[in-house]
Amino acid sequence: MIGLPLAFAFPLVLIALAGLPVLYYLLRVTPPPPRQVPLPTLPLVKDLATPERQASRTPWWLLALRLLLVTCAILAVAGPRWAPEANPVGTGQGPLVVLIDNGWAAAGDWAERRNRLLSVLENASSRPVALRASADEPQPLVLTSATQATERLRSLQPVAYTPDRTRQFDRIRTFMDENTAATALWLSDGVAVSEADGATAAFAAALGPRLTVIAAEQNPVRAITAASNDRDATVVTLSRAATGAEGAAGVIRAYDARARALGETTFDFAGAGETTARLAIPLEVRNDITRIEVLDGRSAGSVHLLDAGAQRRKVAVVSGETADTAQPLVSGTYFVTKALTPFASVLETPRGMDPLARTLDDRPELVVLVDVATVSGTMLEHLERFVEDGGVLVRFAGSGLAASSDSLLPVRLRRGGRVLGGALSWEKPQRLAAFPAESPFAGIAVSTDITIERQVLAEPEPALTERTWAALSDGTPLVTAARRGKGMVVLFHVTADTSWSNLPLSGVFVDMLRKILPLAVPGAARAETRADLANPRQALDGFGQFSAPLPTTRAISRSAPPVATPEHPAGFYGPVEAAFAVNVLPPGAKLLPLSWGGAAPAPLRIRPPVDLRPPLLIAALGLFLLDALAVVWLSGLLRFGGRRMAAASLVLALLLPLTAPPPAHGQTQQRPQPSRQDIEASLQSRLAYIRTGNGEVDETSQLGLASLSRVLAARTAMDPAPPAGLDPAKDELVFYSLIYWPVTPDQPMPSDAALRRIDQFMKNGGTVIFDTRDASAVPGSGGTTAENRRLRQMLANLDIPEIEPVPRDHVLTKTFYLLEKLVGRYAQGETWVEAMPRGAGDEKRPARAGDRVSPIVITSNDLAAAWAVDRSGQPRYPMVPGEPRQREMALRAGINLVMYAMTGNYKADQVHIPALLERLGQ
Amino acid sequence: MATARLIPPLGRSIGPATATAAQSLARVLPRLALQARQVSAQVSFGIHGRRRAGPGETFWQFRPFMSGEPADRIDWRRSARDDRLYVREREWEVASTYWLWIDLSASMNYASSLALQSKRDRAIITGLAMADLLVRSGERVGLIGLTTPIVSRSIIARLADALVLSTERHRQDFPLAAPPGPRDRVILIGDFILPADTFASQFRALTARGAPGIAVQVRDPAEAEFPFSGETEFFAPDEATRWRVGDAGDMQKAYRERIGAHEAALRQACISRGWTFYAHSTGHPATEGVMNIAMLLSGGAGGAR
Repeated sequence: MIGLPLAFAFPLVLIALAGLPVLYYLLRVTPPPPRQVPLPTLPLVKDLATPERQASRTPWWLLALRLLLVTCAILAVAGPRWAPEANPVGTGQGPLVVLIDNGWAAAGDWAERRNRLLSVLENASSRPVALRASADEPQPLVLTSATQATERLRSLQPVAYTPDRTRQFDRIRTFMDENTAATALWLSDGVAVSEADGATAAFAAALGPRLTVIAAEQNPVRAITAASNDRDATVVTLSRAATGAEGAAGVIRAYDARARALGETTFDFAGAGETTARLAIPLEVRNDITRIEVLDGRSAGSVHLLDAGAQRRKVAVVSGETADTAQPLVSGTYFVTKALTPFASVLETPRGMDPLARTLDDRPELVVLVDVATVSGTMLEHLERFVEDGGVLVRFAGSGLAASSDSLLPVRLRRGGRVLGGALSWEKPQRLAAFPAESPFAGIAVSTDITIERQVLAEPEPALTERTWAALSDGTPLVTAARRGKGMVVLFHVTADTSWSNLPLSGVFVDMLRKILPLAVPGAARAETRADLANPRQALDGFGQFSAPLPTTRAISRSAPPVATPEHPAGFYGPVEAAFAVNVLPPGAKLLPLSWGGAAPAPLRIRPPVDLRPPLLIAALGLFLLDALAVVWLSGLLRFGGRRMAAASLVLALLLPLTAPPPAHGQTQQRPQPSRQDIEASLQSRLAYIRTGNGEVDETSQLGLASLSRVLAARTAMDPAPPAGLDPAKDELVFYSLIYWPVTPDQPMPSDAALRRIDQFMKNGGTVIFDTRDASAVPGSGGTTAENRRLRQMLANLDIPEIEPVPRDHVLTKTFYLLEKLVGRYAQGETWVEAMPRGAGDEKRPARAGDRVSPIVITSNDLAAAWAVDRSGQPRYPMVPGEPRQREMALRAGINLVMYAMTGNYKADQVHIPALLERLGQ
Repeated sequence: MATARLIPPLGRSIGPATATAAQSLARVLPRLALQARQVSAQVSFGIHGRRRAGPGETFWQFRPFMSGEPADRIDWRRSARDDRLYVREREWEVASTYWLWIDLSASMNYASSLALQSKRDRAIITGLAMADLLVRSGERVGLIGLTTPIVSRSIIARLADALVLSTERHRQDFPLAAPPGPRDRVILIGDFILPADTFASQFRALTARGAPGIAVQVRDPAEAEFPFSGETEFFAPDEATRWRVGDAGDMQKAYRERIGAHEAALRQACISRGWTFYAHSTGHPATEGVMNIAMLLSGGAGGAR
């Protein structure tokens, strides 16, 4: 509007205001209806001459009220906005060049940036526009219409690497030189990553006043540049471009591969540009960290991915003892495995031919040989190459080693070794001396009750002292080590079991092995031993969220520096077990504030235009209520309660707009109140089903689960409340442990929010039974039924684990009843659950369970229809094929399912096996 | 300013719809009957029977013989005591018949905010209370056209039954029945909203045989005062006619004049036939009306002789 910072979204609507005089005239001649009063004496008086009745007019105040009401409504429809932008950017003549930074640093307030630029493009709607993002290829600029630029802008997303915006500078300068009428606009993120800023200043100086820079006043960008493990904590290095107090403190949180939070800590820049934070988490948990992020960082730079390089080492324990399996709990392998398991992933030694060769195929970082006397032939070659490539070989002595030795030893050994404190010796058993300062073991407190009774001895040689990591109190080396190639060979001069010493029983043994672990170079560095190229698996987008890799992403070489480039954006590359993490920022990178030379940049944040529609609509509504009240009052209906009531109503109507909530701006969201259903669900456990919208199916689910609940209450310790029908889009699922989901082909696809809830529900340990109810149906096109296809569509968007048909030994078939299979209304359908890893010795166990409850059970047997009975207790649906006791079996399947969801792998516990074996008659 | 409303009519028993009527009776009449009994109980205190000479059995008084009287009236035993002749009078014990009529026409179903109850209820209460009062003082009471004269302790219930079972024919503005005999007495209770000359002609027909009586006009205060103002549309209880008034307040004076003239005409018609006319407002208590009617009945108006 002229003179006022008032704009209308639909100014044409204002033409309707011209109709107000007509309305005024119409309203004026249409009075409110008269009061209606009964009068029995009417026949006596109806011929009375009524005085000249003047045309009754609408009272002036009612007229004004109505005109105001209509005016408010028309203005509201026109969409007025109070936009006090003092000096709009983008207005003007000639071509407009727009450069927007879309690196990760712009992701934090990307929506704001985009909206700001959209409003600029709106201002420049009549100008030709060249829109260039900093991550674009530096092609020559092409002018488009502002509309096309707007479309392009809407599809722009921040990228997960640091684009080199200086490449765009030349193109823009060239263009500006060619088009002297053009002006330029740069929506900058204001962050320079470890670069000298000459190019920016030069660019700004060259364009001078023709360049407008828009940047945030306070740059909130904070990024994690490095994360490394030290003894007690993971040290996270953070950097930022701003130096002020705002946004100086924050929280970082670590997640594992399944996005579970493992720990968090706070950081504070305290005026500096760089700081560190210590995530003090136990090592065994720390090894699981794959992702560290700044809370509310919302950019790829605030996320740091960790790969195997920072994770636990893989250790292979190979034993030469054949008697191990006879007495597994006193073997050396057992002690070593026990000591290493919390800190490293210990590979199981394959049995059979040539275990060592097959172990090396698994690419461990550390190989422990427990009393393997000699390694020879090709094995020796393999092991030597392993050590040369950076592997660590830890050997324990044994009777075999004392007798003969090979080349894979740090020191030369004397034959025979020595026995201390034995029958033929007058030397006392030796104790451990303090560890030398240069030894990796330095700092471990030496326990005095460790005694060494027997050991192998090293030949004295000049290098012996420096190779000694631990020695006995008489100076005899106990642990020796030598570098070989990139790797290392470590020798314990005692056995890993207790026959030579009680060292394996002490905590010192664990500490020593733990200290050796970090010496093993992570597998990624040993490039020659594995596939060099890693394919993109999981990519970060600019906002720091995981997403599918872009098609332009290329496989990355493991020898390349793990820094994101346009071809290799940040993310995980390579298979899960050999992941290669690429981060946005290289270690040691620094964020610096960008300087544009002279003029201060225009602020990014402008006061948002105030939408005047809600207050106008509320005013119109209030006026409408007033009008209704006035009409009622005029017609006399309100007179019953006297004037006071009418006055009170009027006051109420006047106050109503004041009590209306203010229009929601930004994040003024109220905490949602828990619904009544949620409160009830949290107080008593109950079964739940998903409402499909199909009345019959829903009723069947309701009846079926109610019937199952009754049977559960009668036969088991569980006494569930009546089942609940849920809408995953609206209802909170966290209160339920088992949700029955009948799949109908006409069911609408769950919304994204609903899918997230279901995903969360399954991740939190809930179980969803998807029932396609089509076991008897004839498969349609493609060999599937409509329900099946619908289920696939739904599950496509969920993180579903690998599934398998319920194996005979699955704990699901044992939780309450011993069942052959889970039948429902149909008997022939297969039931699918999460696939369980199959371990050694599983064949002997009657019941098997994973670590957790299967989050998903898929059946086609129409369980609810089998359970459903109507109010008189009669079954609602016939069974197919209707074998005797099929309904009972279906109920038992239901009980087992509920018990499985409630108790998990409890029945698979060893304690129950004897009873199960007895009952199975085995 | 007053408001007014119509109340639902008493159960109509057109044809065999007696069930509806019985329901209606059960709903409304017990309350009215009870009120009627209470009213008559209060009033019986204030009235002193028929303490006057007349045909009867019990001794009333001796009075001096007046010349010209039949000689056989002389009570010789009393006269023998002194020099004068005395006539022995007995108390009047002849029961007379009272015909009661209660207006149940549509216009009675009306109550304004100024009234204590609707005109219909007030008419029924007043009528039944009078009937009870009369029966207790030895008279026979019947409803015109509906019952024979009844002497019964449960007169209220019986008349109420008859009222409910009355048909549309009996719910006119004015009783259309054979005129009662000259010895009978008539109590008409209604609002008499009909043109004054119509009333006069029908009234003449009813009193053709010279039956004395009292006409009780039950009137709502709103009907009398016309306390309305503002733009108003009046409608008759039967919804047939409507009367739109620009400002009811302006009409008040003319209305009151018209109604006052109408009432005066009715009163004149009654008085001309030797009747009593009593205007009763539902803004006053029912007891007051019954008391006044009883007083007017016993106070000589329409005396038998």
